[in-house]
Amino acid sequence: MTARRPQYGPGTSVVAVNRRNQMDPGHKLTVVRSITDEDIVLVLGHRAPGASFKTMHPPLSEQQEPDCPMRRLVKPTEGAKHGDRVRYVQFADSMFNAPCQPYQRTYAEMYRFRAIDPGTLSGRQIVECRERDLEQYCRLLIETEMFDPALVSLRGATVHGHSLRLSEDGMQFDALQRCVLGKDGIVRYVKDQIGLPLNRPVDVGKPLGQAWLKGHATIFHSLVGTALRDDREYVEYLQRIHTLRTRYGFVPKEA
Amino acid sequence: MRLLGPDTTKRLLDRIVPVPGIRRMLLNGQNIPLVVPYGPARGAKNETNLRKSIEIAGNIVDLHVQVGTVTLEIEDRSVIDQIRAICDDFFVDFPCYVQEGKFMKTQPSLVDYAKYGPGADPSIIGLVDPKRKEQPSIIHPHGDRVCGGCEL
Repeated sequence: MTARRPQYGPGTSVVAVNRRNQMDPGHKLTVVRSITDEDIVLVLGHRAPGASFKTMHPPLSEQQEPDCPMRRLVKPTEGAKHGDRVRYVQFADSMFNAPCQPYQRTYAEMYRFRAIDPGTLSGRQIVECRERDLEQYCRLLIETEMFDPALVSLRGATVHGHSLRLSEDGMQFDALQRCVLGKDGIVRYVKDQIGLPLNRPVDVGKPLGQAWLKGHATIFHSLVGTALRDDREYVEYLQRIHTLRTRYGFVPKEA
Repeated sequence: MRLLGPDTTKRLLDRIVPVPGIRRMLLNGQNIPLVVPYGPARGAKNETNLRKSIEIAGNIVDLHVQVGTVTLEIEDRSVIDQIRAICDDFFVDFPCYVQEGKFMKTQPSLVDYAKYGPGADPSIIGLVDPKRKEQPSIIHPHGDRVCGGCEL
């Protein structure tokens, strides 16, 4: 008898496969670009590069921890060990085939990361955790196939853009224009995620193009991507959930 | 369809504005704030090249939005074909829609009445949010004035 393998989600379409790949912590996501630690710190804007992490409590090693079986079972993350303060990163994902989407992002992070507190909204997703852990998680979120420089952006505030038309250069609308597409085709962050200008631009690489995006989308879109109705298994699953929720809302009596 | 930058908007309007028979023009799009409106950086200057003044037919217009829709009030249907021809020629990298209908307010609403009173200028109605302090720009195209000038 084989061990149970989690399914992560239904569907046979490329969107369903991409969703499962992102959620499965056993699946190694393709690294598409590289970004330095300093660049991550700059874009997040929580501390100056090279500055020490601010703490909100002494390191756990210096504290008198009670003898608790749960504490023995759950090992603290590096950020928790050092007593780091809790900081955040927020992403806005365009519905025009951005490689990750807010709900998907939360699912993927919950499967892959520890000690996080995600907040999911229709067009943006915020995740809070200890600062040291946050910078590590950001590396994965920016360097891998979950990020596209044109259609995914880090936006701490003034996030509007998810459901809007793209700009003429293919960039997601951003009222604060935190990232700019250069004439050399490279996207550079000129502001941190809350909109304060950076001392130097942060290079996040070239947009990956419509063909790549269509193959790596995690959102159904009948006009620019894969239509939900083309994935019969997904539709069947959604209809089943909808039926059960409706039926059991009335608390039926089993025969 | 895409949102247009200021330079592209200028190039488009340079072609549209001289067309005879346009009475009023409304540019709709996403607002580009002067200062950061929310968050820890609230109040900081919003450095952007999406919001700037453009010159249209010799008139300087402060563009506040990234333009997505251009609504025109025209005098007769013959203008539509000219506009469609301009758009077909202009939008080559991405598509656009030219739609016919009534997209602009023509009768004063209660808010317009409260703001402008009973003697409101009908050319202003529907062009600008009554709560806004700024007035619409008046454009006088070069040469012959087109229907008394276009208001943007």
